[in-house]
Amino acid sequence: MKRFLIFTGKIILITILISVVLDGIYTAIFMRSKDRGKIETVFNSKAENYDVVILGSSRANNHFIPQMFQDKGLKTFNYGMSAAHLFEASLMLKLMVERKWKIKNVIVEADLNLAIGHRSKPISSKFLPYIHNSTVIRDHFQDEESFNEMYYLPFYRYIKYDSKIGFREAFFTLIHKRTNALENLGFYPLQKNKNGNMKNNIVKLNPLPHNKSYEEIKSICKANNINLIAVMTPMCENVKGMDYFDKVKKAYPEIHNYENAVTDDKYFSSCGHMSDEGAKIFTARILKDFFNK
Amino acid sequence: MFFNSIAFAIFLPIVFFLYWFVFNKTKSTQNALLIIASYYFYSCWDWRFLFLLVFSTFLDYYTGIQIEKGKSEKSRKFWFWLSIIVNLGFLGIFKYYNFFASSFSDLLNSAGIKASPILLNVILPVGISFYTFHGLSYVIDIYYKRIKAEYNFVDYSLFVSYFPLLVAGPIERATHLLPQVKVKREFNFETAKEGVYQIIWGLVKKVVIADTCATYANAIFDHYTSMNSFSLIMGAIYFAFQIYGDFSGYSDIALGVSKLFGLDLLRNFNYPYFSRDIAEFWRRWHISLSSWFRDYLYIPLGGSKGGLWMKIRNTFIIFVVSGFWHGANWTYVVWGFINAVYFLPLLLSNSNRNNMDAIVLKWNFDSAKVIMSILYTFLLTCIAWVFFRASTITDAFSYLKRIITDRHFGSQYLENERYNYELLLLIGVFVLVEWNNRNKVEPLSGKKSLLKLSLAIAAILAFGTYSDYKEFIYFQF
Repeated sequence: MKRFLIFTGKIILITILISVVLDGIYTAIFMRSKDRGKIETVFNSKAENYDVVILGSSRANNHFIPQMFQDKGLKTFNYGMSAAHLFEASLMLKLMVERKWKIKNVIVEADLNLAIGHRSKPISSKFLPYIHNSTVIRDHFQDEESFNEMYYLPFYRYIKYDSKIGFREAFFTLIHKRTNALENLGFYPLQKNKNGNMKNNIVKLNPLPHNKSYEEIKSICKANNINLIAVMTPMCENVKGMDYFDKVKKAYPEIHNYENAVTDDKYFSSCGHMSDEGAKIFTARILKDFFNK
Repeated sequence: MFFNSIAFAIFLPIVFFLYWFVFNKTKSTQNALLIIASYYFYSCWDWRFLFLLVFSTFLDYYTGIQIEKGKSEKSRKFWFWLSIIVNLGFLGIFKYYNFFASSFSDLLNSAGIKASPILLNVILPVGISFYTFHGLSYVIDIYYKRIKAEYNFVDYSLFVSYFPLLVAGPIERATHLLPQVKVKREFNFETAKEGVYQIIWGLVKKVVIADTCATYANAIFDHYTSMNSFSLIMGAIYFAFQIYGDFSGYSDIALGVSKLFGLDLLRNFNYPYFSRDIAEFWRRWHISLSSWFRDYLYIPLGGSKGGLWMKIRNTFIIFVVSGFWHGANWTYVVWGFINAVYFLPLLLSNSNRNNMDAIVLKWNFDSAKVIMSILYTFLLTCIAWVFFRASTITDAFSYLKRIITDRHFGSQYLENERYNYELLLLIGVFVLVEWNNRNKVEPLSGKKSLLKLSLAIAAILAFGTYSDYKEFIYFQF
């Protein structure tokens, strides 16, 4: 039995050693990542100056065209990420501030995501490689489920979120395989989709009375003299429960309601996502209302 | 509680410690502990079905004794059929009732008679097919006087409920396991070490091969109408490795865990994808089930004694029943039927026992023929797996038809955000490792075992699929 216990001990030791080594290798690889995603790019960036930074979910990513801002002489990048919640938008802003970015305006898409108080696991997992290298990230995740395992157990976070930061992603990062996330200054244009779902039911959706991440964004902007422009972005015609946007306006009066800025379904790829054409109309409206010098 | 879960990683060392350090005085204390552990293990799924397991155990224990004690043939027969009917009755109600009711209703509707089936709102108790077959083989063996009835209820309960084999086999025989539980087990380092190797290799098969292949196979099968020929071919291959890695991985872990408690279970897989014909495949795939059907269905039906027609009839019966055992869906029945059809030429040419020897390759024409026959057998199994995996028979035919009609063999981006060819290298490496170790139970033991073990652990950590978690497929059977 003694021999077996020693043998088992060896296996446990080997497993811990391999976990530590793999953790080190993966983290080192992600620390050098720059051209695969928005999170990695922000994390590995140095001080930058922006006139406009756009944050939010896919409804920011597909709706704001930075090039139209640039054409007006405003240095802009769209950091909206498909499937992201405000948890990730807030963390992105914190990282930018930590890296001493000078930002004049932040446009944050705050509408449907105000109903969600938790993180988006697939998107937030992309911050996890850096959890030991950034106090901002560590503190942001402090109260999250499985924080202790993710922080203290070597390689655990890479196993738990293997589809996002596992071997495949580490390998592509290592060989510097590019993605299209950073093309078009972060904007991802959608095409008109004939089969797109042009219905939505948000009757049961209610904005949280105090969305912690949104409040964080507000206070970060205030503390750093950043002009915050919070907007609700358009939805297609056939939506049940449109009074959601009124509820948002009531709970957060400072958020500008642009839900009606584009309504015609021909400008939508799916109910919650405008096509490239719709995005052009919408961005033009935002520029006119907020940046018309 | 799955074998690849954190809960099991905590459960196993606790039971191991108690077994060898606290309850190690006699075989009775060892068995008692294993039964408690097994019932706890089973109740982690659904404690309500524990009663079914206990009832089934008691039924076979009691009827076994009554059969043995029976003074007249009539009394023996009564207890024998009581056990068979109740066991199959439970299986029928929980597993097949809804299927038969809706199939019958569909039949009536298609004949113009309006009918709506009365369906039962029950879930399938985990492992029912496996422990029912344990009990059946025990009672049948007593009836035919091959074994003596077990009078110790604790020992018999352990034979039925032993947790490593409780939910997905292997399907044990009383002649093999009962003698082992009747003696006190002494710890043996070499056996336990083999067990650990087998557990780790089983985990490689499950999380590195099966679960990774599953993400691709699902993406292809679930969207097969938009897939090109190459993707569809890859989908069938990925599923072949998914089901192999999943089930043989489970069996390896079960056998390995059991070795830690000093109990040897029946081998369930013997590198089936290296088979040279379909008969050999069935001697290497889910061995405990194949041999169960051979001994308790094929032979009682007359086996191969009654001439060619009898052989063919019996072969079709066991394959179709075997298909049906897997699940209440016509796709499984067709899968079984296809395998019987594959078997037919071997039966007619009396060559179903041709490839009984070990495979040895050399640089000559005969070896090339062997490789071709292995590839051909794999192709046949992949075609049959399409029926096993598809939701309906129509889907399976459409899937196969599309392979032939689409004729596009380029790369394709799948729903799982991966390209269709991405797993080829992983599968290639896995096949090479298995090929080089085909004469061993697992590839980790032997020379440089520490290095191989480290590589396996690294593979589990780095290449395993965890976020898109899959249950063991055979739990549903």
